[in-house]
Amino acid sequence: MRKLFTLLSLFVLASMILSACGPTPAATDAPAQPEQPAATDAPAQPEATEAPTEAKEAVLRINTGTYPDVIDPQKSSFVNEIGHLDKIYMGLTTLNEKLETVPGAADSWTFNDDATQLVFTLKSGLLYSDGSVLNAKRFEYAFQRNIDPATAGEYASITDEIVGAPEWRAADTAAEGYDPETFKAALGVKASHADGSACADYEDTACDTLTLNFSKPAPYFATIAGIWVGYPAKEENIAEGGDIWWTSSKFQIGNGPFIWKSVDPFVKSVFVPNPNFVGGAVPTYSMEYSYITDSAVAFEAYLNNEFDIVGSAAEDLPVIDADADLTAQHVKYAGSCTIKIQYSLHPTWNGQPNPFTDKKVREAFALAFDAESWARDVDGSLSLPTWTWIPPGYPGYDANTPLHFDPEAAKAALAAASEPFNSAEKLNAMGLKMAFADSARNRQRHEWIAAQYKEILGVDLALDPVEPTTYTAIQKDPDTYPLLSRGGWCADYADQQNWLSVYWRTGTFSSRWGYSNPEFDALVDEADTTVDPAKRNELYAQAQQILLNDIPGAFGYNSLNHYLVKPWVTGYLTTPQDHMFPGDLTPWTITIDTSMIP
Amino acid sequence: MTTYIIRRLLWLIPVLLTVSAVTFVVMRSAPGGPWDTDAERRQVDAATAKSLAAYYGLDKPMWRQFYAYVIGDTNSQTKEWVCGVVCGNLGPSYRQRGRTVQNILFSPPEGKSFWQSRFGYSVRLGVLALSMAIFIGIPLGIIAALKQNTIVDYTALFIATSGISVPSFVLAIFLIIIFASRLHWIDIVVDDWTQIKYWFMPMAVLGFGTLAYTARLTRSSMLEVMRQDYVRTARAKGLAERVVIFIHMLKNALIPVITILGPALAGLVTGSFIIETMFSFPGMGRAYVQAIGQRDYSMIMGTTLIYALLVAVANLSVDIVYVFIDPRIRLEE
Repeated sequence: MRKLFTLLSLFVLASMILSACGPTPAATDAPAQPEQPAATDAPAQPEATEAPTEAKEAVLRINTGTYPDVIDPQKSSFVNEIGHLDKIYMGLTTLNEKLETVPGAADSWTFNDDATQLVFTLKSGLLYSDGSVLNAKRFEYAFQRNIDPATAGEYASITDEIVGAPEWRAADTAAEGYDPETFKAALGVKASHADGSACADYEDTACDTLTLNFSKPAPYFATIAGIWVGYPAKEENIAEGGDIWWTSSKFQIGNGPFIWKSVDPFVKSVFVPNPNFVGGAVPTYSMEYSYITDSAVAFEAYLNNEFDIVGSAAEDLPVIDADADLTAQHVKYAGSCTIKIQYSLHPTWNGQPNPFTDKKVREAFALAFDAESWARDVDGSLSLPTWTWIPPGYPGYDANTPLHFDPEAAKAALAAASEPFNSAEKLNAMGLKMAFADSARNRQRHEWIAAQYKEILGVDLALDPVEPTTYTAIQKDPDTYPLLSRGGWCADYADQQNWLSVYWRTGTFSSRWGYSNPEFDALVDEADTTVDPAKRNELYAQAQQILLNDIPGAFGYNSLNHYLVKPWVTGYLTTPQDHMFPGDLTPWTITIDTSMIP
Repeated sequence: MTTYIIRRLLWLIPVLLTVSAVTFVVMRSAPGGPWDTDAERRQVDAATAKSLAAYYGLDKPMWRQFYAYVIGDTNSQTKEWVCGVVCGNLGPSYRQRGRTVQNILFSPPEGKSFWQSRFGYSVRLGVLALSMAIFIGIPLGIIAALKQNTIVDYTALFIATSGISVPSFVLAIFLIIIFASRLHWIDIVVDDWTQIKYWFMPMAVLGFGTLAYTARLTRSSMLEVMRQDYVRTARAKGLAERVVIFIHMLKNALIPVITILGPALAGLVTGSFIIETMFSFPGMGRAYVQAIGQRDYSMIMGTTLIYALLVAVANLSVDIVYVFIDPRIRLEE
């Protein structure tokens, strides 16, 4: 027994160690991928025969942080997931560096007069990365799959303007007689030939038209049609791979700028250029994503020339700022989020009248928030102060705002509030409280906020740290919505409708904290259905001014995209909507000067 | 001994049942759910949340959900019977859509072996870290005890105290800076865990605390044994010092050390969250911690059960090892 035990132990230990250091097959490559094209137009690519030393391969090495939970076009929702999908696939439309909606897989699109119908015409000769035909029927399947309740994607509701979509999504799939084909037939998504005749199958090369019918005018939908829920993953691959099809790069055959060549989960993903890409130029480099979640380690790897792009962290700033080279490599530009101090606007709070129903109290708290100091001192210049809602770079950005930091005006506004909210003493007697998602960083942030309100208004804010998921849960329920909290919105797509109607209209997110203004609702309703872009913009601008004048929260800061980028990476076009790295939306413009790589 | 082992294994059933029941109640008492994601983005709408709840059985009463997890239930949408933990099914992940917990933890990436699954990686790292703790920690403790109050003892104590007091994330970043950034012996960004050189740093960081604790425990245990009458007797009999140390002292001194090594192994296998974060190591520790924040109920239950099973098996192994170390100990038949 003793010998057997010893022998067994040694065997197990040896097998594990051998397994650790022994050779293993490389991550399986995607089969049936065509030969990769040589980099055709990358500047400064030395000829292999002329190079005195071995020519370096053009590879963009990026640390993306957390490994995605799910990489499925119709089920994903987080930026790190989308940052993978938009390399593999391209939607009907896409965004350019000015965040304008431009052709992706579609060559053109037209709305009918009242914007209740949108017809896309696909580019001719579209192919997947494996050389198979990509036609309108593939996009029809993508929208159907997004709406299908069996998919239950987290962003399924984003296409609810499509006729029949809400009805299908709400259908009881367990009910007797439930037939998905009935709902599918009633859905306002139809692929066809240009003459309107039905498409045969996925091989039908003449199937180049996709018609979307809406239950209400949706002039913004060309932009929505470009987001990840409309990416044309192959039906047969999804069927073959089953529930876990998305975990394998061999099933992720797309039409995006890259082919997902291989993946070692939590370690590395390798992308190579897709020679059949037509949404822009074929990239001249390969790309590697790594998944280091500790910013200090990623920063060390960047300094060690193991990454070409990493996100910078506040902790790295002293080193970056003290080094001229690193400072020059530090790329900062506006991001896609606006964060505010949100007031609960419900009539009562904690069984007593809510002071924030008084506009003067709201004004006092907004005027007392020093957004510039916050951005500089608290966020280490890694956020941008703002006093408006839609961030710079997005359609509808309006710097003309009624409120800016003004301590004296803040005091005056509080004094002008109605009884019993017109002094710090009276508010302190109520025991005002601010909740936040607990973390070391957030504790510092909220202590700063409380200190500022104490200093300027004399108001004592009790801080209430809450476990992050619990914090999200209490914010979803109007009954538990905190009196004061920090929160905001990050754009799904670049349209005012996403910033104003989706978030602030009565019955949307705003119902959680109780904001409602019929005048605002009327304006965004009209704007949402207005086809004329100029008139539409004007209506949204008016709506935003109403919102700012209502002071539903203290608009505080915009997120900042901040990365360290090696000098040999050039040509990137930044947008606030970048998910993973500068130039994320148009990666084909990036070039890598391999001669500069040490 | 066989009867004893079988009885102990059978005892695992009520132990694991109790662990899963307690975990289930605590987990479900926490506010929020799997679809409560970042508040600064579009949330799962009511219709989709209802579909998801129905699919995963979260719309059923709590007792039924627990029963379904342990025994099984009919899926209300697919109408198929889904067997529970009793069949080895740890349930579907709510965040990694389409994947089961056993698929996440035990299935390797395409074309790779079991040892390259997340569980396999964690086990290998845990065993390596424990081996380091044993093969360095125990000798260190012995030497420190034999050379008590000398420079050797103080050095060993310094190492042991450092190991206990230096947080692993601090040690990790120091090692990275020294061996990767300065000496360039290894890369920080590891893309091939089949190379043994990359295992050195995670192993050292993970095992250093256990090594330190083992060394201290060995030292104090040795010091206690050294003063026992039977050791004095052995020396009086004229036995060689080597025989006194290894046959008479060490066997007895190691019993408390072995007692902690079992649970330590379980802790090392599952508790590598910091190491996985710092070294991008593809083990299961990160899955455990992330699952809690994401309210991925099945993932939490599954990893907790595996942890409980590992602790129980490790304790059983320790009890068996006692017999080999000390002949006076007999397992109850």
